Amino acid sequence: MTSPNGLVCFTNCLLPQEDGSLIKKDLWVDETCGLILDAQKTFYNRRDRPSTVIDLGGNILSPGLLDIQINGAYGFDFSIYEDNDEAYHQGMQMIAERIVETGVTSILPTIITQEKAKYPKLLNLLKPFSTPTSATLLGWHAEGPFIDYDKRGAHRPGYLLPAVDGFKSFEEAYGSENLVDTEDWVMTGDQNPAVRLITAAPEIPGVMDALDELTKKGIAFSIGHSAAHTEIATQAVLRGARLITHLFNAMPQLHHRDPSIIGLLGASPHLSAPIINDDSRYPDTPSTSGLEAVTPNETPKSDSPDSSQSSPTRNGSPLKDNRIRLNIPVRKESRPSLHLDKGQVADMAFDRPFYGLIVDGIHVHPNSVRLAYSSHPEGCILITDAQKILDPHLKDGVHEWRDGKRFVKDGDRLFIEGTNTLAGSVVTLDTCVRNFSRFTGCSLGEAIKCATYNPAKCLGIEDTKGTLRSGAHADLVVMDKQGVILSTWIKGKKVWPGVEVIST
Amino acid sequence: MRLIIREDPKTVGDYIANYICRRINDFAPTPSRPFVLGLPTGSSPIPTYKALIAMIKEKKLSFQNVVTFNMDEYVGLPRDHSESYHTFMFREFFSHIDIPPSQVNILDGNAEDLIAECNNYEQRIKEFGGIELFLGGIGEDGHIAFNEPGSSLASRTRIKTLAYDTILANARFFNNDISAVPRMALTVGVATVLDAREVVVVVTGQRKALALSKAIEEGVNHLWTLSALQMHPWALIVADEDATAELHVKTVKYFKSIERVQDEVERTQAELKARGKKAEEQVASVN
Repeated sequence: MTSPNGLVCFTNCLLPQEDGSLIKKDLWVDETCGLILDAQKTFYNRRDRPSTVIDLGGNILSPGLLDIQINGAYGFDFSIYEDNDEAYHQGMQMIAERIVETGVTSILPTIITQEKAKYPKLLNLLKPFSTPTSATLLGWHAEGPFIDYDKRGAHRPGYLLPAVDGFKSFEEAYGSENLVDTEDWVMTGDQNPAVRLITAAPEIPGVMDALDELTKKGIAFSIGHSAAHTEIATQAVLRGARLITHLFNAMPQLHHRDPSIIGLLGASPHLSAPIINDDSRYPDTPSTSGLEAVTPNETPKSDSPDSSQSSPTRNGSPLKDNRIRLNIPVRKESRPSLHLDKGQVADMAFDRPFYGLIVDGIHVHPNSVRLAYSSHPEGCILITDAQKILDPHLKDGVHEWRDGKRFVKDGDRLFIEGTNTLAGSVVTLDTCVRNFSRFTGCSLGEAIKCATYNPAKCLGIEDTKGTLRSGAHADLVVMDKQGVILSTWIKGKKVWPGVEVIST
Repeated sequence: MRLIIREDPKTVGDYIANYICRRINDFAPTPSRPFVLGLPTGSSPIPTYKALIAMIKEKKLSFQNVVTFNMDEYVGLPRDHSESYHTFMFREFFSHIDIPPSQVNILDGNAEDLIAECNNYEQRIKEFGGIELFLGGIGEDGHIAFNEPGSSLASRTRIKTLAYDTILANARFFNNDISAVPRMALTVGVATVLDAREVVVVVTGQRKALALSKAIEEGVNHLWTLSALQMHPWALIVADEDATAELHVKTVKYFKSIERVQDEVERTQAELKARGKKAEEQVASVN
C-alpha cells in the first residue's frame, strides 16, 4: 500500500510504552523514509497529516521484536561458512526476510565458538544488513571462544581459548579489523545501527583486562558460559559488562553464600564495591571512542521552541549517528545507604546488568523466570537462542546440525542426538513473549517491553530500534490481545502476511 | 442570551456537539466559504470534543471546510510541551478529526514579536470574514479565554499576565511548581469573542457556579468578564445542573421556559423553510 502523501496513521490500537504500559493512541509513520513521526510536529510544523488511516481494530501495535541471541533459522546457521561469501549472504538475507513472520524485525546473529581461523571472515560478513522488506541484522554476537571449559555447554571444547594477552588476544581471534571503533567498522551511509556483542567468561585469563578496551570501542560485553564467583562477576560489571548471556544456563547455580553471576540480579547496595573513581579509564571523548557517557536516568529532553521548527523527517534521517551508546556506570550520590524514603533503594555503585532469558519453558523453569523478573524487571531481555532448525513450520524429529552431529526436535525441546544436553532452542520470540506473560503473570505490555525496549536499551540503540520514539525505524508488529502476531511492518510497509489488512 | 441546562458534563457536551454539528451542516461550508470556528482549551470542552469526534468518525460531520481559531496559548512554553495548548488541541481534538492542518490557527506564544503575532491573528480572523461561532469555557473567576478579572471588555488579541488564581490553579500541571507555570499568555480579547456572530459557552461543575451567577444575574462587569456576553446578540450558555447551584430558582425556571419557546420557534421556522417560504438566513435567538 502506498499513501498519497507518504504518511500513514495507525489508529484504534494500543501502543506499548517504555514503562510497560499499553495506551490507546494513534501512531504516525512516514513510509517514504521508513521512520516513526512526531505526530504533533508533523501536524503543526510540517502542516501535514496522513492521507492513509489504518484501523487496527483495537489490537496492539508494538515495536518489532528484537532477538539478540539467535544462531540461525530456516536451515541456515550463522556459524557455518563454507568458503562462499555469496551463499552466506543469501543465508543472511533469507533469514532476515523470513523471520518477520515471528514478529521479529531485528536480530543479532550469534556465532557459537569457532575454529579460530574462521572468526575474521565470519564477523566481517556479519556487518549490519537489511533489505526494504526484511528484518535488520544488527551486526554480530560472538559467543566464545573465551569461555569456561566447565560451562561450555554445546560449544566445542577444542576451540576454547584463553585471552592471555588481553585485548590483543581478542584481536587475534576475531580479527583486529572487526574490533575497530564502531564508526570505522560500519559501512558509511548505512542507517542501521551497528552492534557488536561478545559473550565471554570473565574468569578466563586476560578477559577482564580486555573489558575496558572493548567497551571503549563500542563493543558490548556479556558474561556467559562462565563459572565466575560473585567477586569476579561483580568486577566484570564494574568494568563495563552490561549483560548476562542466557541466565541460569551455563553458569553456577544460585548459592546463597556465593550467588555468583545469577546473584548480580539482586546486587546489594551494601556489598557492591564502590566504583573506582578513575575518570581516565573512561575518557570523555565520544567522538573518537564511539562511546557516549549516558547518565542512567537520562530521558530525552523536549526540544526548545526553536528546534521544534524542524521536522523530524525533513532530512530523511536524523539518526545518521549509528554509533552505539553504552552506559558507563556512574556513581549516584543522592541517597545514602541508610535513608528514610520508603520504596526507594540506596544508591548502587553500578547499574545491575541486563540478562537474557530463554523463555521456552525448558531452558528456564517458569518459577525461575518469575524469580529473575521479580528481582530485576528493568534488565530482562527475552531471547530465543534458536538454532538453525528454527522454523515455525518444521515438524518434530531428527535433523542435521554440524560436525556430523544431529539435533532431536521434540516440540520446543532440542537435544544433541544421543545425549540429554540441551542444544539451544527452537522457540520463536513471539512464543517467548506469550510464555513470559504467562510464566510471570505480567501484562502483555510488560512482556513486550522485554523483547523490544529492554534489548534495544542494552545495546544502546533505543533511538532507532525497539521503541516507538519519533525518529525510530517504523519496524512494527501488530498482535492481538493474546500476543498472536497478525502482521509485521518494516520501515512503515507491511511485509507479512502478504494480504492487506483493513484500511480506509 | 439563552441558557440551556443539562444533567451532567457529558449531556452538556452532547448538546453542544449536536448544536455545532447542525450549525456547520446548515452552513454547508465550501473551500471558498469555510465555516470559521473559535475553540477553547481546558477540561470543560473535552466532552464536547469527544462528541464531535464521534460524529466525524460516523461521517455525520466533517471539518474539511472548517477553519479554527484557538482562544489562547502560553507565552514561552515550547509548542510540544505537554501543557501547551497546541499539545492539548492536538491530543484532544485535531489528531482525531479530518481537519487539514493548514486550517488550524493557534497563537504562537514563542513568536519573536508577540505584539505583531497578536495583531496578525486579529488580521487573519478578519481575512476569513470573522468568526462564525466562538465556543468558549470559563474560569472559576468568570474569565473567558485568558481575559482575567479586570480585563477591558473592549480588549482585542494581546499579551496578558495571568492572575495569581490562574497560576495557582495551573500549578498542578507543572509538578505543583508555581515557578514553572507560565506567567503570560497570548489571548483573544473580550471584544474579539463578542465580534463572533455567535458565542456558545460551556459551564460545568459546582466550582463554576458562582461565576455563572455573576455572569448572567448581575450587571456587565469587567471583574467577571463572561458577563460581557450580555451585550452579545446571539449567545448561548450550556450548563450542567451543578453549575446552576448559585442561580436563583426563578432564573433557572425562566431559562428553561425560553428553551421550550426557542424549540417551538425553530420548528416553525424549519417548516417555513421546508415549504420554501423562508430565505437562507439563520434562525435568530428569540432573546
